[in-house]
Amino acid sequence: MIRFIKIILLLTGIFCFFLQPAFAESQVLTEVQVIHASTEPLHVDPGLKKIIHELQSVFKYTSYRLIKNQRLNLGFHQRGQIPLPGNRTLVVIPTNMEGKRIRYQINIRKNRQSIFQTQVLLRNNSSITIGGPKFHNGVLLFNISGSVR
Amino acid sequence: MEKKCNDYTPEDISSFVDNELPYSLYHAMEQHLNHCQDCKRLAEAYTTMSAFFSDHAHQEILKIDPAKLEQKLAHTLENSKSKKKSPGNILGFFGKKIYFKLASISIVAILMISLYTFHEDHPSGPSAIVKSVDTDFASVMIIETQKEQHTIIWFSET
Repeated sequence: MIRFIKIILLLTGIFCFFLQPAFAESQVLTEVQVIHASTEPLHVDPGLKKIIHELQSVFKYTSYRLIKNQRLNLGFHQRGQIPLPGNRTLVVIPTNMEGKRIRYQINIRKNRQSIFQTQVLLRNNSSITIGGPKFHNGVLLFNISGSVR
Repeated sequence: MEKKCNDYTPEDISSFVDNELPYSLYHAMEQHLNHCQDCKRLAEAYTTMSAFFSDHAHQEILKIDPAKLEQKLAHTLENSKSKKKSPGNILGFFGKKIYFKLASISIVAILMISLYTFHEDHPSGPSAIVKSVDTDFASVMIIETQKEQHTIIWFSET
């Protein structure tokens, strides 16, 4: 019986040991969706199914068109660059983990000049939307999601 | 088997027959048996019985094949060694209370899996915590949706 208890305790210990540093040496799968939101006739791209309800709960736009969907597999401190409409560029860099969140440095550049930068702690397997730049009678929204593998 | 002589007990006579008495006693017994008919009869009976058992044992021993015996012994030794070394001796590990132990393992496993999935699937707070924003534009809004706590940063590019 003592031997059995010892084995149970050992298994529990091993499980707890591997549970914590599960994210230690991981890649960050970063997905960027570039959305054109406007007041054109009602349209929602099927690719926006996951977040459309959240966007519609905040914005009054009627049309949401997915104009780019890019996936990046980045290591920590690795830079991911995505060209955007209107001479803009989106730069995303996952820097580290803080608990169950990924710290991202996000930079939007226009004509090679930084116009917006932010640091966010993104919940693993979740997303953030950054919006505002004007484009074709509407605005651009960038939905950035990240998951650690 | 009754005897009238009280000089020696039947145990003493049995020991005499089996040559287990000290020399002095053996000699005294030998002399006693020469003139005591009761004890002599008992000694003879014991001798016959002993001879019968010895003969029977000898016959049984003769029936045993030494080669087979050796082989069987070697096989038994080998089995006991492999049982000790084998890591997969599950019955040895679980013992008699196998159901109790299996139930314990299941409970521990369920608790650990629940704990793990709880950590994974139910994080609290907004989808993103905004640590800093740096822009030349005057208007920046940070919004959190009600339902999914989805974070939206809105900046007006004017």
